[in-house]
Amino acid sequence: MAFSVAMRNPALRILFRNSWALGVWLLLGALVLWYSTLIPVFGPFQITSITKNSLPLVYLAIGQAIIVISGGIDLSLGALLLLSNVIAARFMAGQPLPTVVLIALGIVAGLALLNALVGFVITLSGVPDIVVTLATGYIWSGLALWILPSPGGGTAPEMRWLFTGSPSGVGGSYWPPLLMLLIPGALVAIWSRTTRVGLSLYAVGSNKTAAQLAGLDVRRAKIVAYGIGGAMAGLAGLAMVALTGTGDPRFAIGANATLNSVAAVVLGGVALTGGVGNVFGVVATGVTLIMLNPILIAMRVDSNNAQVIQGVLIAGVMMFGGLVAFLRERRS
Amino acid sequence: MNQSQVLLATQGVAKAYGPVVALRGVDMTVRRGEIHALLGANGAGKSTLVKILAGVQPADAGKVYVEGRVVQFHTPADAIAAGIATVFQDPALIPDLTVAHNLRLSRIDNAKFHAWLERFGLGKLDLGALVRELPLETLRIVDLARAAARDPHVLLLDEITAALTADQAERVFDLLAEWRAQGKSAVLITHRLAEVMRICDQATILRDGRNVAELVTAEVDEHQLVEAMLGASVEPMLKTTQDAAATRRFGETALEVRGLADRHHVRGVSFAVRSGEILGLVALEGQGQDRLFDLLSGARRPVAGEILVAGKPCRFHSPYDAVRRGVVLVPGDRLIALLPNQSVHHNLALPLFNHLRRWLRIPADERPRVQRAIERLSIDVRAASQVRRLSGGNQQKVVLGRWLVSGFRTLLCFDPTRGIDIQTKREIYALLRELAAQGAAIVLYTSELAEIGLVCDRALVMHDGRIVDEQDAATATESSLLKAAHGLEVGV
Repeated sequence: MAFSVAMRNPALRILFRNSWALGVWLLLGALVLWYSTLIPVFGPFQITSITKNSLPLVYLAIGQAIIVISGGIDLSLGALLLLSNVIAARFMAGQPLPTVVLIALGIVAGLALLNALVGFVITLSGVPDIVVTLATGYIWSGLALWILPSPGGGTAPEMRWLFTGSPSGVGGSYWPPLLMLLIPGALVAIWSRTTRVGLSLYAVGSNKTAAQLAGLDVRRAKIVAYGIGGAMAGLAGLAMVALTGTGDPRFAIGANATLNSVAAVVLGGVALTGGVGNVFGVVATGVTLIMLNPILIAMRVDSNNAQVIQGVLIAGVMMFGGLVAFLRERRS
Repeated sequence: MNQSQVLLATQGVAKAYGPVVALRGVDMTVRRGEIHALLGANGAGKSTLVKILAGVQPADAGKVYVEGRVVQFHTPADAIAAGIATVFQDPALIPDLTVAHNLRLSRIDNAKFHAWLERFGLGKLDLGALVRELPLETLRIVDLARAAARDPHVLLLDEITAALTADQAERVFDLLAEWRAQGKSAVLITHRLAEVMRICDQATILRDGRNVAELVTAEVDEHQLVEAMLGASVEPMLKTTQDAAATRRFGETALEVRGLADRHHVRGVSFAVRSGEILGLVALEGQGQDRLFDLLSGARRPVAGEILVAGKPCRFHSPYDAVRRGVVLVPGDRLIALLPNQSVHHNLALPLFNHLRRWLRIPADERPRVQRAIERLSIDVRAASQVRRLSGGNQQKVVLGRWLVSGFRTLLCFDPTRGIDIQTKREIYALLRELAAQGAAIVLYTSELAEIGLVCDRALVMHDGRIVDEQDAATATESSLLKAAHGLEVGV
């Protein structure tokens, strides 16, 4: 009874409905605290390092989350990241600022359009999302190799400053990467829950037939979701070049990034069946997955074991979440 | 006829799904200020016609006119834009969003929507609630209020009263009367003929995908409507209970429950049903009957009380345990029991897959057993390759038939005839009686009180999670059952 009374309070209800996202932010907070006790000094350098290293995965995870919420899944996001990465690395180095900005915007907009086209093809052909994006993923990876056959190229100092906080990529302020982490996440999260188009993504993912019967344009929702996914992959590629200073077209990097984005989405409380979840939580879990590495290093754990621990973490968090839901169900 | 009086018309509308012809050519005319009933047995093509008029599916042939102009709907949005608002049997609301979000998605004016809600007595509905948290009858009202708030010329209502309480149904009829007075129209699809006689002006009757009659309801009686639907003169409803009751013999107690309870909805239910007996259960919406069936069928575990099968206490951890003990369920929503994309054959044979030895090879007797069930139930197998293409009545037969194939001792039926036409209803009644005569014990929850007298031996009345009354089916009347269901004392 007390529970249903609490549900009448709008603020409490919002907290309750987003309890998963809240939970993963708390988990991240706890991890950061723990990490700060593991190392001798915890200061601005560590904050910068964690945030800038998280950027590619967080962007990719946001894009994946939007696509999964709308009832799809995109296995080509990692390959799109590669595409963005090699274009930026090949054409940005040594260019004046306006050209750099133009190239960056062009990459983001271009990949958004490209992936929106993929979304259009999916709605038109009726071939499952996972099949179409698996195929396009190979195509984009091949294209990336064609643009930049081997690791190389460079980046612009302005890009480095934006994504890492310093023009040289070393040290610097943590504000630029932190804001680049939070602002896109907040924008997409708020957009998806407050605008008609954003809500229509949830609608289509939750119950496609009901959405259609209610008069919604199911195709447009899907195309928009894939477009956002493409844009976020573009951003992720730019962040990656800024981080490493060079372009890298290797297939494994893209494939890995795709899997990690799905892991972050699942951990972040977005149901793979669509329609449920929140982009806020995915930002936290993207950072959490990246945090594991420095923590393991600080604990002197062999880096070969990192993947085992990442797997255990995913399984553990999901089972814990399932247990909480089960207990709650039993209580009501 | 004055053309400007016609609001919505169809001419030769036809539709086939692969080999199954759903509509062969339907002409229907809905005039301004008219409540029009669309009637027909299951499989007659009503649902298909609704889908075409609502823009869900395109017609293969024929024309649809709105206010005299030919229209072509490619999506439901087109139909809405043309002034046709539809309330489907399953509410077209997004379960994971709040009511308010759903309204925003449909561009509904909140004030108008709220005015309609108030008229249906739901003015206090919390718009911030998730759709999945709300009960079905509330969702149907929300869906209806949303459709009305679109200010359509024509409202298409598919079985709107099926999940509503009597009071809410009254309010819907009031709305329709007012609607008519404003020169707007409504098309009502319903199986409740009393409603047709009461509020509809005209009735178009479909049979086998054609319109076979257009009747003015004031000039006919229910019997004539049924005749037109079935295409043959019908004998009066079988009074099987009264006729055969004297000869019935009950065997041992097949299923007994003592003090069964869950956390909230079922509060200590005890009863026993013997083999050969059909035990009716009557309750208003939401009195715990669905949870009781969940407990009996093993879908949920009770917190107190025990279930005895043939005198032995049992604990059901899952439906698998219940089925193994011969307690099988025909659920209220037939779609949750079916594999929609699989064949009739596969759906019927499903319980047989439990036996380990059948993993290796399909036993020789499977085919004849399935075939016998199909014949016994006279399932229409024209669309047998995918169960989802069958009409509702045929789907229900498949759910029932599955247990005929596998065998059972106690059959739990949750409102098995909801939304099913008269012909199929009768077949199901006859089948239930036949099964009981062969020694099955049957527990039948029904929302149609007449079914107690037609098929049951005894009736239990459930109210607020408890059994509050027991009546002999032969002497129970609809009013005595209804009073008990409202928790009122029944005078002897």
